[in-house]
Amino acid sequence: MLHVRDVSKSFGRFHAVRGVSFALEPGEIAGMLGPNGAGKTTTIRMITGFLPPDAGSIAIAGRDTVTDSQNARRHLGYLPESAPLYTEMTPRSYLDFRARLYNTPRTERKPAIKAAIDRCWLSDVADRRIAQLSKGYRQRVGLAAALLHNPSVLVLDEPTNALDPTQVREMRRLITELAKDRIILLSSHILAEVELTCTRIIVIIRGALRADGKPSDLLEGKSAGYRVEWKSVSPEADGRLAAQLHAIPGVATIRQEPTLDGWSAATIEPATSASTLDLREPIARALQSSGTLVRTLERQRASLERLFVDLVEDVAADDDLARSQPRSGQ
Amino acid sequence: MTVILAIARRELSSLFRIPVGWIAIALYLFLAGIVFAYLIFNPGQPATLRPLFAISAWLLLPVAPAISMRLVSEELRSGTIEPLMTAPVSDGAVIFGKYLGAIAFLALMLIPTVLHAALLWWFADPAPDMGPILAGYLSLFLLAMLYSAVGLWMSTLTPNQTLAFLGTLFFLLVLLLATTIGFEYAPSWLRPVLAHAAIQTRLVDFAKGIIDTSHIVFFLSASTLFVTLSVFTLESRRWR
Repeated sequence: MLHVRDVSKSFGRFHAVRGVSFALEPGEIAGMLGPNGAGKTTTIRMITGFLPPDAGSIAIAGRDTVTDSQNARRHLGYLPESAPLYTEMTPRSYLDFRARLYNTPRTERKPAIKAAIDRCWLSDVADRRIAQLSKGYRQRVGLAAALLHNPSVLVLDEPTNALDPTQVREMRRLITELAKDRIILLSSHILAEVELTCTRIIVIIRGALRADGKPSDLLEGKSAGYRVEWKSVSPEADGRLAAQLHAIPGVATIRQEPTLDGWSAATIEPATSASTLDLREPIARALQSSGTLVRTLERQRASLERLFVDLVEDVAADDDLARSQPRSGQ
Repeated sequence: MTVILAIARRELSSLFRIPVGWIAIALYLFLAGIVFAYLIFNPGQPATLRPLFAISAWLLLPVAPAISMRLVSEELRSGTIEPLMTAPVSDGAVIFGKYLGAIAFLALMLIPTVLHAALLWWFADPAPDMGPILAGYLSLFLLAMLYSAVGLWMSTLTPNQTLAFLGTLFFLLVLLLATTIGFEYAPSWLRPVLAHAAIQTRLVDFAKGIIDTSHIVFFLSASTLFVTLSVFTLESRRWR
């Protein structure tokens, strides 16, 4: 279990993390999302014990990361962003050093290193100096080091950074395989990647937790837009229809393009405030009243990107409101 | 203990894998060679390594900081401090392991200078007295411990190796100058303090073959002070 309870961290006057709480169970792959400077890395650093929280507590397998730090760290594998390594060492000697740091018994050391090398596809470069390795290989050395002691919690900061598409796919498979009996918490900027890999999404914006749940639950009822295809009679008729669609409350933008078979197609995007509303009925009525022949009207599932953008815009709107209130009171 | 030895071993082997380690060895052996060739290995001179040991405070001055400058600075700069400090290792073990690695490197660097003693033994008649030579090597080791401890502390203060090097050099240079040249100009109330912090006079005693316990206590306690400061500085980084 990984328990994060109401943790906060400030650097001087800057509140990097404010009252973040969540708990993860073995088998979960949690993706931590947030814009740059949102507090993701600070949260990760508090979980790994690199930084102590100013308030709140974190427990890994029941061990507090401050009061029982070393025991908590024994259950943790961590791949920091950009996988910092001792470049003068070889992957094998680096893994040997890491195994010694975890007091792995001599008899178990070699098999554990071999298993980590095989698992992270490092056999070809295991005895080359890390300085000579590509970024992708270095990332894998960092991952091998994080896995070496078979931790129950694996924290990966941007794990697919610098990997090529084939390696990204292999990494996704490896993460899914590793998650069978452990907790994986990863942060990534690649939202599609998170959507494909993670069973849980944690969104942090301006240091606060803004969303936490299964991707399907978070995207439930959210709409990315509506796809409409109709028989185009004349440009004037299309213009009238577009005007009617624009008049529907909650419609933000309409992008229209002809299809290859001579029909017209449009993607209607709802405003952020209307993303949970179902606009199919007013769209259908607008199409009906204009007497247009329709062959498609479908609501498209929202992507994680849409959810993320909505949350960021919500926070920005809240900030604008907070800024305007003191002025209106003057 | 296994963890401390693992960190020390990694530090030591890394120093032999990077150019700065070999340049430091070459620089020290070059300086020691000049002293040996011009001040010791001369016809009619007494068979002793005393000048080499007495001047060691200056010979080690550019060498020890070059070795210690990267100990923590490099970890801070490259970010390797993060995987290191999130392993189940105490900050004290990290510092002590690194310190052990650095002084082991400096001790190994001193080994080729045994050739100087061997040459004296081979050519000099009467043969040199081994007592002062052994005491001299003990003083070199204690000096390496002190310089490395100061350098280690400086390297915990900055991720910039050059700054750590210059900071250590400046600190040790001020200490050496204040306790030698500066002593004469110092006010009377400061003189006992400077006399106590003097490195040069202690090295001269060792070079003569005098192993005074107070000298050993001085080097060990001053080294402990800077190693402890290094632990505190590293710990405080977590809380900043």
